[in-house]
Formats: sequence, structure tokens, C-alpha cells
Amino acid sequence: MSVDVTGVDRETLVRPIQSRSKYFLVALVAALAGIGVWLYFYTQQLQHGLIVTHLADWGSGGGVPWGLYIGAFIWWVGIAHGGIILSAAVRLLGMDTYQPVARMAELLTIAALTCAGIYILIHVGRPDRLVTSVLPAWPWRVHWSPLVWDVTVITAYFVLTATYLLLTIRYDIHRLRDRLPDRLEPLYKALMIGYSETEDKVVERMVWWLAFAIIIMAPLLLHGGVIPWLFALLPSMAGWAGGVQGPSFLSIALTSAVSGIIIIAAAFRYAYGWEELIPKPVFYGLSKWLGFFGLLFLWLQLQQVITGIFAAPTTLQHATEVKIATPIYWVAIGLVIAAEAYIFAAALKSSLFTIPRIVAVSVLVLVGTLVEKTLFVVEGLQHAHFQLYDGVPGVYVPSAVELSSVLGTVGIVVLFFLVVSKVIPVVELHAIEDDHEEVRD
Amino acid sequence: MLPLASAPYTLPFVGPGTYLIFGIVLAPIYVMLAAWYLGKPSDSKSALLGVTYLAGLTTALWGGLFVATMVIKFAFF
Repeated sequence: MSVDVTGVDRETLVRPIQSRSKYFLVALVAALAGIGVWLYFYTQQLQHGLIVTHLADWGSGGGVPWGLYIGAFIWWVGIAHGGIILSAAVRLLGMDTYQPVARMAELLTIAALTCAGIYILIHVGRPDRLVTSVLPAWPWRVHWSPLVWDVTVITAYFVLTATYLLLTIRYDIHRLRDRLPDRLEPLYKALMIGYSETEDKVVERMVWWLAFAIIIMAPLLLHGGVIPWLFALLPSMAGWAGGVQGPSFLSIALTSAVSGIIIIAAAFRYAYGWEELIPKPVFYGLSKWLGFFGLLFLWLQLQQVITGIFAAPTTLQHATEVKIATPIYWVAIGLVIAAEAYIFAAALKSSLFTIPRIVAVSVLVLVGTLVEKTLFVVEGLQHAHFQLYDGVPGVYVPSAVELSSVLGTVGIVVLFFLVVSKVIPVVELHAIEDDHEEVRD
Repeated sequence: MLPLASAPYTLPFVGPGTYLIFGIVLAPIYVMLAAWYLGKPSDSKSALLGVTYLAGLTTALWGGLFVATMVIKFAFF
């Protein structure tokens, strides 16, 4: 399947920058409201400490010092990794169908990584601990600590993605400068420093290699490596340990990311009348990828459940039995199965496919993956090999402070897109140029 | 076997992360950087721009956090 949007004019491309949409205002108010609610609760946490989340020390909620904060951290990192993988795949594998959403995927990566970083920042308690704990210890601890590996690769990943965006945006700004707002001239000047058209071929090749580095690092080494190793390398936590966590995390990352891209692309299409720029086949194609990655997610859940209950070591058996006895686990799995059912039906009978439906399905998938990842963190801690937490009273229920952080971080991502869409084109100029192949050779 | 619990309970400088992070996980970045300078078409000015972005963003990210940390230190403690 191929989608040709080369007939779309440049005015359409810069429409979010030049025009005002009432949806923009609605989204802005909603985003700021979400961030405001979270900041209110976060202020409580700063004033009184992590105790307000029940996550302090060993946790006052059934011995769970890691809960929704870490579940949401994994979730956002997953969305981030999957986003840039899609963009890199467009460049490396020539998946031009998805070129109209490639830059949105890159931007989603930057926004989602920021949110992942925020979760670490708010979970260490005093925000200055992020620097005072990590920076002085880094040269020594990076050789031994998976937590420091994590900080290292997330920094590398953020920097790579931002560099990718900064290098590719120069081509677009140069050619669209007369359509961009004059009040941002100093910013554009800074972004275009030293630019000449002769660099295009060189930069295109540099970006190809950048995409190459990203596409190898992201799935194989980061969300299929360093992030799951935070858990998989701990033999004392039966529900966490084991090599299956790498592919399992990766499947969740890709599933969540495609869902996120579908929602954002649909929002822009709806708000700015971009039916011709992001045509329906783009969403139809993304839905099939969502179906494929969702199937991998379910398959890897099956692997974990069957190896955990058939003849597993005692503690793993216990952890798995608890997992499959938790109703909300089946809610999460059920949401993904429901999404699979719709995607499969729509693949068989395309008339069933509509963009609002696939957006609804994407939301369900995102809820399901967030629930699954949070349960993974919580139950993994509660059912360790040792009985350290057995005497801790209570049960873990996400506090209002934690729940508000999800609202706040979603608000931050929305706000990020609203602001960025007023500054740079959120669709690459390459997407509407029929001669861009000449730049690549 | 890794000497995690050997007396006197200090870890050697070189550990699994030394090989894993700097040898394997970051290897694609080394390849990328080499490719920016080698092969065609390439020019040192654009490669330098890329390297400047990489180094500058890393510095800005952690430098910004460091400044925020200092502000917190002097404003609240």
C-alpha cells in the first residue's frame, strides 16, 4: 500500500502555524488544566514528602515503594522508543506511506521521554536528588548499576532524537521560511546557523546513519535491553526476572507508540482539515501495525503465564498465580484483545474501519498497557523470593497524587505538541515533495 | 562469577556496565559518528554541527538540571 500526498501544497503543511483553530484553544485549556491538577498534588508531595503517595520507604501500601510512577515511567519510555522507531523505519526502509506522521512520531518521542524523565524526577523525592545522586556517582556506578545504565541510555536517546529533529528541520525551515512567523526569527536563525543548500545531501546521509543507530539501539538495546534489565536482572523478584522481559517490554513499547501516533495524527487531521495530508490509508496501515504489535504483546504474555504456572520454580509459580488471579490484569489483556478483534475485523472488511474507531481502540490499548506495566511493577515487588514486605500493612492502590501525574504528563505532551505545531511544521516537507528522492541519492 | 559480595564489599572499577554500555549499547553511536566523518558525501562542517548538537544537548540537559539543583539548594536549604 502506498500513499501519495505529493499533490498537497505548502500552505496546507504550515496550516497549524498560520491558522487559528478553536480546537487549539480547547486543547490548550484542557492541557493546562491537567497540568494544573497535577501541580497541585505534586506541591503536596514536595511539602509533605513521598508519604502522600504511600510509596515512601518500603511503601505503606502493602510494601510497594514502586507503583504507578514507575509503571508510567516504563509506559512513557516505551511510547518514546516506539515513536522514533517508526520515524527511523520510514527513512531506512522506505516506508513512505508513513512519512506524513514521521515527524509527529519524532516529536512524540521527545515529549514522551521528557515525561519519563519527570517520573524519575518526582519519584526520587527531592528533585535535586536527580543531580546530587546521579552526577557525582556516574563515573563509578555506570560500570555496575542498571539504574545508572538507564540514566545513561535515556540521556543518549533523548540527545539522539533531538539531534535527528534539529538536523532534519533545517531543510524545511529554509524552504518554508516565508510562511513562518517573523516574530520567531531569532529562533529560526539559531536553528539555521551555517546552513547552505549544499549541506542537504550530506545531512540527509548523516540522518540516515542517525536513524540506523536509533533503530538498532531502540528496540534491541534500550526498550528491549536496558529498560527491562532494570527488572529482569533481579533474581529476587520472580515476576521480574528473566530474558522474556526484553521482548515483552519491546512489544508493549511498539503497541503503545503506534496507538499514540494514531491519536496525535488523528487530532491534527481533525483540527486542521488534513484529510489530504494524512489520508485514511495511513491510519489503516498503522492499525495493521498496531494489530501486529498487539499480537506480539499477547503472545509474550502467554509465554510468561504458561511458563509461570506449568512447572515453574515455587516463587515464580506464586507470582504468576497472583498475576492471573488479579481481575485488573484481565481487564488490561481484555482491552488489547478487544483492540485485536476490531483490527482483525477491519482488516477483513475495510468498511468497518473508521478513524474515530481506531482512535478509540488506541486509547483502550494505551490504558491496557499502562495498567499492565503498573501491575508488573507492583506485583513483582509484592511477591519477591524473600518476605521482606510481608509485614507491611495495607494494599497498594494508586493515590490521587500518582493518578494526577498521569493527567499532568498527558497534559505536558499535549501542550508540547500545541506549542511546537506553532513553530515548526509537524509534517516533513519531504512528505509533499515528489522530488525528494534526488536529495537522498 | 561476579564478585558482588567479596570483601571488603567494594566493587572493582570495571564491571558489566563497562562492556555492556560502552561496548555494546552505545556501539551504534560510534558507527554513526564514524560514518559522519567517513564515506561520501560528507563534510567536516556538517559533522561538527551534528557532534555539537550531541555534546551541546547533553550539556544543556544535565547542566540545566545542575543549575536547577543549585537554585533549589540556595533557595530552600
